[in-house]
Amino acid sequence: MSEFLGGCLCGGIRYRLGAKSSHAAHCHCSQCRRASGAAFLTWVAFPAVSFAFIQGAPRIYRATDKAERSFCPDCGTPLTFRHVDSAHQVDVTAGSLDNAQDVQPVHHIWDSAKLGWLNMGDGLPRYPGERDGSEDMP
Amino acid sequence: MSDNPVYEGGCLCGTIRYRIAGPIAWAAHCHCAMCRRASGAVALTWATVPATRFAITQGEPATYRSSENAERRFCPACGSQLTFWSNAHPNEMDVSLGTLDHPEDHRADRHTWAKSRLSWLRLDDHLVAYAESTPADKRPAIGGGDDA
Repeated sequence: MSEFLGGCLCGGIRYRLGAKSSHAAHCHCSQCRRASGAAFLTWVAFPAVSFAFIQGAPRIYRATDKAERSFCPDCGTPLTFRHVDSAHQVDVTAGSLDNAQDVQPVHHIWDSAKLGWLNMGDGLPRYPGERDGSEDMP
Repeated sequence: MSDNPVYEGGCLCGTIRYRIAGPIAWAAHCHCAMCRRASGAVALTWATVPATRFAITQGEPATYRSSENAERRFCPACGSQLTFWSNAHPNEMDVSLGTLDHPEDHRADRHTWAKSRLSWLRLDDHLVAYAESTPADKRPAIGGGDDA
C-alpha cells in the first residue's frame, strides 16, 4: 500500500500518509497504556514529511518535555506520537488507520513494562526499552 | 483478596481520577472497530464493574456518544479513554483496563467482537472468544451494587 488514510472515532480528524511505513511496533510502556486505555498500544512509524492532517485540528498533550501526543478533542482517539529526538518520524496509532488489517508489527518495545498476564505468542523480537536499547522514558 | 476491594485509576495527565468500590466482574479484550478507533490500539481491554460501584473522584471527563445507546468518556486534556456505558446493559460500567493504577492485577478472561479481530493479531489466544458481545448467560449478574 502506497498511501494510508486514517482518523478518529467521531470522524472529526482525518490524516493522510503518503509514504510507506518503516515499521510497526507494539509498545507496552505505562504511558501508552494510560493514553489509550488498552493493555498495549501499537504504533506505525512513518516519515514525518509524508504525514498531514487533512481534516480537523487535534489537541496536543505533552507527557514529557520531549514527546507530544495528539488526540481528537471531540472523541479522544489517540492519533500520533512525536519525539524531539526523532523529528523525522511520526508514529501513528494502528487502530486509527482505516486499514489496520494491513499493519505488520515487527517487534515489541518496552517489554520490561508488559503486563505479566498478557500472552502474545507472535514470536516477534522483544526489546526491554526502545529498539535502540535506550531505557530512558520518552 | 478482600471481598470489597477498592481499585483506583485515571488518565495519563492525571486530571481525571476514578475509584471502583467492589470486585471486577470480568475483563474482555474487545476487537470491535469502534473500540479500535477510540483507543488507537489494536484491541481495547475493558474491566466490567457494577455501574453503581464506579465513581469519578477528580476532574470532569468529556463524553462522546458513539451510538444512540452508548457513551464513551475520555479525558479532555490528554485523550485517555476511560469508560464505556450502554443502555443495553445499564447496570454495567466498562472501565479501560489500561487506565487502572495496577492493570497487572487484572487478567483479561475473554475476547469480545472476535469477528472483527485483526487476523494477524496474536493476543491471549487461549481465552474464550465471543463473535460479538458477551452472551447474556455469560455475564455474571451485576446488580445495583447493594449486594455486599
